[in-house]
Amino acid sequence: MSASASSELQHLKAMNFFERLFGRRSSAQTAKQRLQLVLVHDRAEIPPGVLALIKDDIIAVISRRVNIDREHVVVNVTHEDKMSKLLVDIPLLRNADGQAAGRARGEAQRPNRRTTSPSS
Amino acid sequence: MEEKVITVTSGKGGVGKTTTTANIGSALALLGKKVVVLDGDIGLRNLDIVMGLENRIVYDIVDYVEGRCRLRQALIRDKRAPELYLLPTAQTRDKSAINPGQMVQVCDELRKEFDYIIIDSPAGIEQGFQNALAPADRVLVVTNPEVSSVRDADRVIGLVEAQQKGPVQLIINRLIAARVKKQEMLSTQDIMDVLSTEIIGIVPEDEAILSSSNRGTPVVFNGKSPAAIAYRDIARRLIGEDVPLVQPQPTSWWQKLFGRTE
Ligand SMILES: Nc1ncnc2c1ncn2[C@@H]1O[C@H](COP(=O)(O)OP(=O)(O)OP(=O)(O)O)[C@@H](O)[C@H]1O
Ligand SMILES: [Mg+2]
Repeated sequence: MSASASSELQHLKAMNFFERLFGRRSSAQTAKQRLQLVLVHDRAEIPPGVLALIKDDIIAVISRRVNIDREHVVVNVTHEDKMSKLLVDIPLLRNADGQAAGRARGEAQRPNRRTTSPSS
Repeated sequence: MEEKVITVTSGKGGVGKTTTTANIGSALALLGKKVVVLDGDIGLRNLDIVMGLENRIVYDIVDYVEGRCRLRQALIRDKRAPELYLLPTAQTRDKSAINPGQMVQVCDELRKEFDYIIIDSPAGIEQGFQNALAPADRVLVVTNPEVSSVRDADRVIGLVEAQQKGPVQLIINRLIAARVKKQEMLSTQDIMDVLSTEIIGIVPEDEAILSSSNRGTPVVFNGKSPAAIAYRDIARRLIGEDVPLVQPQPTSWWQKLFGRTE
């Protein structure tokens, strides 16, 4: 699950009755969600803008070989158990000859800087 | 190893490092420990003001490092506690006047005489921070319940852990219980979820802090203001006493009406 999706979920759980009723979240919850997202990028040492560039690169490379659904490619950084992960989800497009469509999925991992000795 | 050198840092400026250093140092001294508080903020010294000792400075740590005085001559004795001293920094020099190696050397000298050396780190993660971190046995990261301050705390915790300067513990400063209750402010739990770092104290927002810095008397010296209680508890946790962490509670209408129990 992507970081944004999981924090979104925690978020909904934490919303109280009135917030659910009026569809508004507290500013503390917004603060926590923003923090969680920014820390995922900080810890992985990949700024959000670089992620967009990585996504473009991946699309360019993969689409040289296979037909992909460019609009729905997702590239995300997550941070769990002191590991930062790059999650890539690439929907494949059905070819003209009717071959089965599927998905290319990739994962790249590296230990978070917090668990490594002075490398950063 | 005995954890004598405690560095107070934060990344972000203005979150309460100097206030924390002054109060924890004073509280440890009031517990009978021999303490020196060391101003690590070269060029922007403030610990002297917060401690109310600014008029007694003759020499500072840079004078000592550059050989103009002996260490004893730079130490200012604070008579409000049995054994409390301030080692001031220079106001007219910059961060590069001292390097991490020299800080370690100064602290090694101080270790011989003192139970605790509390270092007030400057904001940021540059040389002044590296100076303050170099001799540390233990690091206290101060944060406010606010997004940018917690983010910077995470960065600093990462840097401290990368240099294997542990253990790192967190102080949440300026928490306003009533606003946490209304979900207008990050709670202790929120910050714990995000940083996964042990919390050694929660210091509430407290009007007494301003008047105490006006007077140059850290809050732990007088009274039972909420921040004073929180700082004394932190000092007791530092010396190894088992003091449970209490969540600050909003003051109720009747407490407001009849005045707090001060
Ligand atoms: N718990 C508190 N309640 C109310 N005011 C506080 C509290 N803690 C700190 N302050 C106020 O916040 C301001 C900043 O505090 P302080 O100088 O200790 O921060 P600092 O982290 O040392 O700043 P700098 O990064 O500039 O060195 C001061 O005016 C201080 O009085
Ligand atoms: Mg300061």
